[in-house]
This record gives sequence, C-alpha cells and structure tokens, in this order.
Amino acid sequence: MLKKIIFSFALLFSLKGWAQDDLLRTLEKENPPTTDHTIASFKGTRLINLHTIETLGKGSLDFRISHRFGDFSTGTNNLWGLDGPATLRLGFDYSVTDRFTVGIGRSSYGKLIDGFLKYRILRQTNNEDVPISITGLATMNITTLIDPNKNITGVDQYQFFSSRISYLYQLMIARKFNQKLTLQIAPTLIHYNLVQNLNDKNDMFSLAGSGRFKITRSLSITGEYALRVTRYTVQQSTLYHNVASVGIDIETGGHVFQVFVTNATAINEVQAIPYTTTSWQKGEIRLGFNISRVFGIHAHKKGNKDKKW
Amino acid sequence: MVKHLLLSLVFVFSGSLYVVAQSNTSMYKSIKSSVQFFSETPIENIDAISKSMVSAINTSNQNVAAVIAIKTFHFNNAFMEEHFNEKYMESDKYPKATFSGLINEKINFKEPGSYKITVTGKLNIHGVEKVRTISGTLTIDPSMKLNLHTTFDVKLVDHHIEVPQLVMQKVAEVIRVTIDEVYEMQ
Repeated sequence: MLKKIIFSFALLFSLKGWAQDDLLRTLEKENPPTTDHTIASFKGTRLINLHTIETLGKGSLDFRISHRFGDFSTGTNNLWGLDGPATLRLGFDYSVTDRFTVGIGRSSYGKLIDGFLKYRILRQTNNEDVPISITGLATMNITTLIDPNKNITGVDQYQFFSSRISYLYQLMIARKFNQKLTLQIAPTLIHYNLVQNLNDKNDMFSLAGSGRFKITRSLSITGEYALRVTRYTVQQSTLYHNVASVGIDIETGGHVFQVFVTNATAINEVQAIPYTTTSWQKGEIRLGFNISRVFGIHAHKKGNKDKKW
Repeated sequence: MVKHLLLSLVFVFSGSLYVVAQSNTSMYKSIKSSVQFFSETPIENIDAISKSMVSAINTSNQNVAAVIAIKTFHFNNAFMEEHFNEKYMESDKYPKATFSGLINEKINFKEPGSYKITVTGKLNIHGVEKVRTISGTLTIDPSMKLNLHTTFDVKLVDHHIEVPQLVMQKVAEVIRVTIDEVYEMQ
C-alpha cells in the first residue's frame, strides 16, 4: 500500500515538474520557427569575375572596385604585370528589396558601361524544403569606344547606337552543401548586336561553374570556370580561351576583399567569357582584386528611436 | 491491488487536472516584444533590434520562459546582420536563444503596481547554457497587463562567441541587452 502511494506521489510530482519545465517547450512548440533561409552561401555578390546567387539586404548600397593587373608573363621588368596595363571597373549596386538588386558600372576595358537587374527567385532553406537557391541576372552593356578605323576605312562600325549594345542572361543555381562548401552552376547566354569578327554568331552559350570553400570564419578559397559550349567564332579554341580563376575571399567588418589569379583581362562577363585571348598555358594570367564596401542607407534606426515597439 | 491502482490513477489524474487548470487560468503571454542589444567600442557602436521574442509567465509557479529566433535581429547594415548570423551566432546551427527561470520574489499578480524582481534561470545563447539571475521591473497596470523591463549584460566568452582578431576592436566583449515585454492574461 505504502509503495503504491509513493508511486502515485512520484507520478504526481513528475507531472508537476514536467509542467514547470515545460513552459519553455510549450512556447517553442507554439511558435515554430518561420522559414529559415540558408545564409551566406557565398561571401559576396560576385565571386571573381562572375555573379553569385547572393544579393544584399534591402537598402544596401554596395560600392565595388574591381581591378586586374597586367600579365605575369610580362616578366620582371614589368614587375610581373603589376606595372600594367591594368583594367578597372567601378560600380554601384543597390538592393531595392532583399531579393531584387540593380547595379551600374563602368569598365575601362572596352570603355564599357553596364547596368544589371538581379533577382533571387528561390532561396535554399535549412530544413531542406528548398534544396537550392536560384538567382536570375540580366545585364545590358554599352561600349563607348570610338571606332579606331573610322578615319581609315571611312566606315564607323558604331554608326548605329544599337551596335554598341550587348546583353547577358544568366540563371544561377547554387547549393550550400554544408557550412564550408558552396557550389554554383550558371547557364549563360550572351548576345552581341554587333559581333567582333565577320563570321561570329550573335549568340553564344556558356556554362559557368563557381565554388567556394571556407577555411576559417573570415577566409575562403574560391574558384570559377566558364566553359564555352556553343560554337560562336571560327577561332574558338585557338584565339580565345575559357576563363579560369582561383582566389581567396577575406572578410572584415563591412568589407569583402577578394584577391585572385585569372586569365581574363576584362572584368565584365560579356567580354571575359567569349573574348578572353590570354591563356593559363602560356602563363598569361594576372593578379586581380575586388573590394566591396557596403553602406546601409535604409535606416530603420529612426523607427527604433521614435517608438519602443 | 485494483484499489491501489485506482488510487494511483486518481492521484495522477487529479495531478494533471491541477496542472491543466493552473495553466489555463494563470498564464500570461507576451503580446508585444522588443529586444535590443548594444555593443559599444571607441571605434564603432553596433545595435540591433528584434520584435519577435515570444515569452510567457506562469503565475502559479512564477515560471518565466522566452524564445527568440536569432535571425529576427535586424541591423542597420544588412551586411553586418549577415556576419552576425553567419560568423558570431552561427544561426544555422543555433537558430534560437532561450530563457527559462523562476521569479524569486513572491508577486501578487492581482495587485497593480511596480515590482522590482529578480529571475533566476537558464539563459541559452549560441547553444551554451548559463545560469543567470537577471533583475528587472515588473509593472502590473490596472487593466492587468504586465510590463516587463530588464537590462542585462551578456559576456561573449560565456557563450563561446568568438570575435575574429580582425574586428576585435569593433565588437565589445560585453553586450548590453534591453528587453521590454507586454503580457496579457491568456
């Protein structure tokens, strides 16, 4: 009898104890986490030459400086390319929403002005409901070069403004496999209104692969390769080469600093992917860096001060 | 034997009834919430806010519990927000912070007024649990809503939150957390 009573009491108390500890568990159960998007698949919105699936949070203004030095193959007298000739792109990206970014920029190579629209179509979630992220990119590029042969031939290749324009459409598909590894593949279509060589095609298709591997919390190894899939020019494999790059991402407070080695002279994809004439095999590679400084100009700070809630 | 078993069942049943009854009549749940934290260094002041904490007070046993999803903290700089989640809080691994404790002072929740209280319990941030006694002010207004205000410090080392050397000077070692909650009887 006594045993039974003790047993009953034990049960009773265990129940009560359970109820007390359970307030937290009840709360957690009643408020299941909302969709938990995978963050930081890549450190930045660009990896080396190419875009990543990442966009910045709403209201971020990203000032970007991209720089490529000259060829290593130019040797000691040229300090392995550090003396130049260098190419530069300056650009601003602005995130209209968490998913939608617009940007403008200008590259010294080809005196190219570019503008782009980038939209995150799908975001990977941590619960594996959505296993991948997809981002779409559309760019329009206008060269402001003056035709160098205009006076000699008497014909201006840029007689029509439309001849200066090229486009790029890219669908980036990426998966962050774990805290360290992210891989991305991006089918890419490039269209030139006016092609460079007589028998070139206006459209070319390429498949770009990118990856990053995190070594420490602030340091990652990155790599990119753009495979040209369709035949768009006669000298496809002799004059032009696929773009390959390897580098590191270093991250501090509000900056991402990317240092890398690449065979592309141009920074803009419409120039780099189809028309890179320098190759790794000949040592025609160069050092390059991208600096990104992000300003938060969407101030919800005011709201914080005005009201407590 | 059967009698004993019955007795046991009655005990258990009354016990669970008691629990259910208590929780039905004496549970306060948060209807408004503001959690802010502040990091102050000579170089940079960083603050973030979340309005998504959920919290409850069980008046019968003076149990207080709270849960907050780390990713609901918003910074002025979205870039900083990502760093906070990715590098410091590891929000994919430790998605939430929790607190569960007991109010040390006996509070008459039917008596409007302002009470200085201390709450002792388990604070879990970044997957690391610490027993803490946190003091605050509990105000019971005439409409029987509860207002809770508390400010306390969280030491990053206590919860194994590592700051890389590169940004060490920009992030304080002790973070000040300010919480304001409004509770309503359920």
